[in-house]
Amino acid sequence: MKIPAVKIRGLKKSFNKVQALNGVDLTIKQGEFLGLLGPNGAGKTTTINILTGLVIRQEGITEIFGKDTVKDYRFTRSKIGIAAQELSIDWFFPIEKLLLFHAGYYGLSNSQAKERVDIIIEKLGLGEKKNTRLRQLSGGMKRRYQLAKALIHDPEIIILDEPTAGVDVELRHVLWDYLRQLHSEGKTILLTTHYIEEAELLCERVAIINKGKIIKEGSPNELTMQLGQSGLSVRLSGWDDRKKELLDDFTFTYDNGRLHFSLLDPEKDMATIIKILTNNDCHIQSVSADKASLEDVFLDLTGEKIN
Amino acid sequence: MGKVNWIGLWTLIRREVGRFFSVYRQTVLPGLISSGLYILVFGFTLEQRIEEINGIPYTLFILPGLLMMNTLTNATANTSSSMLQMKLLQQLPDILTAPLSAMEISIAYIIGGTVRGTVNGVLVMILGIVLIDLPVHSPILTVCFIIMVSWAFASLGLILGQLSDSWDQLAMMQNFFLTPLSFLGGVFYSINMLPDWAQTISLFNPIYYMINGIRFTTLGIADTSPLTSFIMALVMTMLFTISAILLMHSGKKIKE
Repeated sequence: MKIPAVKIRGLKKSFNKVQALNGVDLTIKQGEFLGLLGPNGAGKTTTINILTGLVIRQEGITEIFGKDTVKDYRFTRSKIGIAAQELSIDWFFPIEKLLLFHAGYYGLSNSQAKERVDIIIEKLGLGEKKNTRLRQLSGGMKRRYQLAKALIHDPEIIILDEPTAGVDVELRHVLWDYLRQLHSEGKTILLTTHYIEEAELLCERVAIINKGKIIKEGSPNELTMQLGQSGLSVRLSGWDDRKKELLDDFTFTYDNGRLHFSLLDPEKDMATIIKILTNNDCHIQSVSADKASLEDVFLDLTGEKIN
Repeated sequence: MGKVNWIGLWTLIRREVGRFFSVYRQTVLPGLISSGLYILVFGFTLEQRIEEINGIPYTLFILPGLLMMNTLTNATANTSSSMLQMKLLQQLPDILTAPLSAMEISIAYIIGGTVRGTVNGVLVMILGIVLIDLPVHSPILTVCFIIMVSWAFASLGLILGQLSDSWDQLAMMQNFFLTPLSFLGGVFYSINMLPDWAQTISLFNPIYYMINGIRFTTLGIADTSPLTSFIMALVMTMLFTISAILLMHSGKKIKE
């Protein structure tokens, strides 16, 4: 079995008597795309910052490819590329120069750094802006630069803290495509996000964090299947209460010419329900299904909305 | 990557040096202009009215002090402003999440400040040579002393920058601590001109020894033993450097 890319056990951290992390346990397999979902203050950024050395760990284990993030920080940090949520500003250097510096911090020689910077600038569409200073870039371009910085040393683990916060829809899709490409190249990706859609579309697995603890993990499908009650609504005529026993296997209500079913997997059950109804003299006028989302899962688990 | 991230260290040094050279109008020229103005004002107006000190014309006497003041304020300003700016503009996480040790980060910053302090000090020395024939008795010792003092105050600046939360706090530390110590360190006078009690207080001012030392390596005169000045400068350099590295290692005010 391969060593996990990221292993976190019993991670605790408090700030001024406020318990930010309360025993986080999380494992990310090599090559996995994991989404860490949670509301503001849940502990997402603190967890990430402990992995990268920005926050000092108080208790627990944090390992990258089996190495401790404190004792073997040179190894672990060289494996991670992080795109922080907060955008940095620089007054002195054009972004190409900043990226060259960034590559140097990770030990890339001048020629290696130049080669990587050219590749990344091209891939992220920063070519026209490479001689521009960071403070003169638009918000979207700054986000691209932030990602470029994270990728400059070709890390095996990419950590993205709210990478699409504040960017327009078009750029969001460009970034999503690029993240999918990175994942297909075998990179391990840890993404924190407020955008449920982002997690559902990109992540193989999602970990839900709340009040400093991971409360649920699984693929978006598994989570919605396990926890999310999906709905199926059938508008029909010819229904009477004697037909209730035909649908004993399902949970449903009848109201004003409409049957409402609560199902775990409406796509699977829909055909059976329609068949039973039509075989028993009911005339179906319309059918609509609502699949539960991660938002519903989150609401179910925590009693609050993610945003 | 071996035990030392040499490329990372060298890159951060280049960044620090490049940063102040890219704004040389703010970081190099002002010291030269103000030193030139001091020379003009004292040379053309006050020198006729002020007696020689230890057989040295007044303008010449103050020049080593100006040189040292320029050196240490620039060395301090470079590291303190760079560190605080990186904190406030969210650039510091780039350094702290890279595979660089606390010692490598500290040394890179200190070297950046040392280069700025040395460039400023040497330029004022050249200005003195050109304008008023400043005799430099021991050029090698003078440059070495400038480098050592730059290193010491670059380390002090790094400490101040890391501990400051705002420009206001940093300015307060510089204005209420560093500037008075510089002026009271004997830039404009010999401490032999002071009353006994003031002479005793001056002996507790580390900058006094820095000025005294550079006055010896240039003019060949000194209020106290040059060896004492050298030892004091060395002790300050070691003390500030070790403190700066330990503070960086602790992560105080830069890591949560």
